[in-house]
Amino acid sequence: MGSSSSNMNHIPDAEELMQETGFSSAHLLRLYERFEFLDREKRGELTPDDFEAVGRLALNPIGGRIIGAFFSQGQETVDFASFVRILAHFRPADTNRRDGAPQDPANSRTRKLKFAFQLYDQDGDGMISRVELLQVLRAMMGIQVTEEQLQSIAERAIQEADLDRDDAISFDEFKKSLEKVNIDHKMSILFLR
Amino acid sequence: MPSRAGPHSPAGVGKSLPERGLLLLLMVFVFLEGSVLPLGAASSPDISHKENVDNHQVAAVVHNNTKKAFPVLDLDYKHVQTPFEISLWVLLASLMKLGFHLIPRLSGIVPESCLLITVGLLVGGLIKLAGEQVPPVLDSRLFFLCLLPPIILDAGYFLPIRAFMDNLGTILMFAVVGTLWNAFFIGGLLYAVCQIQPANPNPLHTLELLPCLLFGSIVSAVDPVAVLAVFEEIHINELLHILVFGESLLNDAVTVVLYHLFEEYSGQGTVTVMDCFLGVLSFLVVALGGVLVGAIYGILAAFTSRFASHTRVIEPLFVFVYSYMAYLSAEMFHLSGIMALIACGAVMRPYVEANISHKSHTTIKYFLKMWSSVSETLIFIFLGVATVDGPHAWNWTFVTVTVILCLVARVIGVIGLTYVINQFRIVKLTTKDQFIIAYGGLRGAIAFSLGFLLDKNHFPMREMFLTAIITVIFFTVFVQGMTIKPLVELLAVKKKQEAKRSINEEIHTQFLDHLLTGIEDICGHYGHHHWKDKLNRFNKKYVKKCLIAGERSREPQLIAFYHKMEMKQAIELVESGGGVNLPSAVPSTVSMQNIQPKKPPPAKPAERALPQLPRGREEEIRNILRGNLQRTRQRLRSYNRHTLVADPYEDGFGDFLLKKQKMIELEKKIKDMNNYLTVPAAPPDSPTMCRARLASDPQAYRGKPDSDNVPTIHVDLASPQSPDSVNMMDEFRRAGQQQKHQQQEENQGLMMKPPSGQSGPKKPGEADSDRDQQKLTRCLSDPGPSADEDEDEPFLP
Repeated sequence: MGSSSSNMNHIPDAEELMQETGFSSAHLLRLYERFEFLDREKRGELTPDDFEAVGRLALNPIGGRIIGAFFSQGQETVDFASFVRILAHFRPADTNRRDGAPQDPANSRTRKLKFAFQLYDQDGDGMISRVELLQVLRAMMGIQVTEEQLQSIAERAIQEADLDRDDAISFDEFKKSLEKVNIDHKMSILFLR
Repeated sequence: MPSRAGPHSPAGVGKSLPERGLLLLLMVFVFLEGSVLPLGAASSPDISHKENVDNHQVAAVVHNNTKKAFPVLDLDYKHVQTPFEISLWVLLASLMKLGFHLIPRLSGIVPESCLLITVGLLVGGLIKLAGEQVPPVLDSRLFFLCLLPPIILDAGYFLPIRAFMDNLGTILMFAVVGTLWNAFFIGGLLYAVCQIQPANPNPLHTLELLPCLLFGSIVSAVDPVAVLAVFEEIHINELLHILVFGESLLNDAVTVVLYHLFEEYSGQGTVTVMDCFLGVLSFLVVALGGVLVGAIYGILAAFTSRFASHTRVIEPLFVFVYSYMAYLSAEMFHLSGIMALIACGAVMRPYVEANISHKSHTTIKYFLKMWSSVSETLIFIFLGVATVDGPHAWNWTFVTVTVILCLVARVIGVIGLTYVINQFRIVKLTTKDQFIIAYGGLRGAIAFSLGFLLDKNHFPMREMFLTAIITVIFFTVFVQGMTIKPLVELLAVKKKQEAKRSINEEIHTQFLDHLLTGIEDICGHYGHHHWKDKLNRFNKKYVKKCLIAGERSREPQLIAFYHKMEMKQAIELVESGGGVNLPSAVPSTVSMQNIQPKKPPPAKPAERALPQLPRGREEEIRNILRGNLQRTRQRLRSYNRHTLVADPYEDGFGDFLLKKQKMIELEKKIKDMNNYLTVPAAPPDSPTMCRARLASDPQAYRGKPDSDNVPTIHVDLASPQSPDSVNMMDEFRRAGQQQKHQQQEENQGLMMKPPSGQSGPKKPGEADSDRDQQKLTRCLSDPGPSADEDEDEPFLP
């Protein structure tokens, strides 16, 4: 990879990004290449169409939500920096803190959970309401399930998790219900170390 | 030790009379065991002698016609000898198990395996004292064909697939590379050690390299039986458990290949490169072939179970027979029988469980646990007996060097491998983990049996090998087995989490799986999740349709999980007597097979009417319900293989208490309720709520047929109260909120028609619930241990 250093120059703010997200230069390069691959019209930014071109996402029950997560409020496009920042959530947690690493890295357990939470909470009010939960369940289970069954499951789920009885799941309740799950393991991609 | 403790029970432990009686019985039994077996040997010459005499007499009769007395009572031991002895051994094993748990202090300090070996030693000693020939109990055929399969099947059927697959790479590394390293290290160094000491002519000098390597390969394999026996009692966290246990299962392939390879070529004395290559090839064939054979039989079993809906009683048989055939078929081709058995159990389980009835499921679980328990006990006892029996050739150097090398090789191997593996793992293995893995590498009866199989002619040092193997086994089982528990406490290794999975965890875990798959797709990375997702899709699309009967083939994982949870909770609640307080019957709304499609509830819900009961009526109902419910002991939530005692500190208990509290609140609410909201009318053909399996049980109850004026109260008959009560409570809450928010919510819980001119809608309901209670007690007579180890594991989640 003799030309790696010259390629790195193409990446805007490479140093900063590496510092912020903790990606190594090799990984950043790989991500940049992927970014360029997805960006078919070579605009330096990604639109939702570019994401949808990834065929397998269409099969994914929450594919639409994932795509939506890349685009922050009101934005139409995603640049490379935002792309990398989102993907930084999925790095495995660092076992030893590097010097100069940000205090609250993107791949901390809380941040990972927050990212997942936001995927549930589409209207952004900080709570997963019953309706939102039902939407997710419906998406995951497709047409084979009756409305009634979904309601029961949603009911049961909220009952279990909802500790302050407001009929919705807040972020803290969400965290608590997942306290036994090894989030680091569940939400990390080895590729992105 | 039961045999000592009988008449001399310590004064401090106030044993009750029955317990003392049992211990006395045990003691007597052990002596009996010791004496009967020689009797068996002794009586056969007697019988044959008698037969000769009879023959003479008959011959004489022909000539003389002398009548001999008709034998009123005769002893013909020979006739029943083999089954009788087998039964005696099994009985001994079972009584031992009983006995150990009567001595709580001892079973806390010493693991069961040690005690069992000691008992075996004792019995062997008794037999020898009686001057008789010790029966060759650990005969390799008996061991490999009868004693080992139940344990492995039990392990394979209840293997936690998710944890296993997640760590498959690590497990394979340890199993294959680790065992190879151990074998060569031990064999090679032993050879080297044997070659030194040039001064005195040593029998060890005759030991060549290949027999040494063979010995190394026999003694290096971690034994699943020993690991299971010891690890079960220390309740270590799932990761470590699956690592060591998985390793012990998968190294069978390596052991088989190495054993055969070295045994073949020991005669010839040299191994060429070609042979090594063939060895590698053979390994692949053995391993993959074993898995393939197992998978084929597993699929056959799943397919067969699909059609078994009309003959539920023999469903468990299919599981057992197909698995055993998988094992035998693999052994026939010298493939790895253990891997075949594991593959068979693991493959067939999700489909079989979707097809079979609840009772068959319980039967399978119980039988597997029973057989594997007895098998394990017998194996350890036999180890003790065989130790007393076998011709021993003690050689200080050889034995001590072997033991030391085993330890050293294991430690070095684990450290080295972990270093490599940690590069590829997300959750790394810490030093503590490494220590436990190294320390948990126990050897057991498989090593002994393999050694026993050696041919004396090819291996003149056979006895020495056997002695060394036995010493290593004893060392690992006694020393390591006894000290691992305090060490685990000392090092504060993470223990097993007893909690059951909640529905939230299940939903979120699936959600995260989808999320990660999506992210992997965006990154263009074909990782772990990608392949898992692909496999899941394939499974859903093709395999499930083939192997699962009827509607359930399309049932999503989450629904099955949810329903299982509700069932369990319901059974729990009823058995604890907590569900009595509610007049029944809000049916559970999870619809399963045999459900007619429900008409959509009316667009404009009519008033909701909760029954308004006169106070006296309520009391009456409550008393009836209370009276009819059988108060069984609280079922435990998660269990250890050998204990079926409820552990009050288990997580489920807290949960249950919470539910009970809710029930009490609910009761209060009913009392307070005077004027309440009403429920919309149920459509006339509400679905029946039996589960598919219950519905086709011979004892299944059908829901009452619908008729117009009868409130359509359908009760999920295995769980009359709790999902209803939970839903009822939800209904109240919702109703309460309705009062607050004034919004019309769709009624999901109650399906009762408003009391249309009936004196009390409860009347038919009451009769119904009466009958239901009685039926319920029958149904619940043995719901089986509610283990969380298998219940909550979705297949390939």
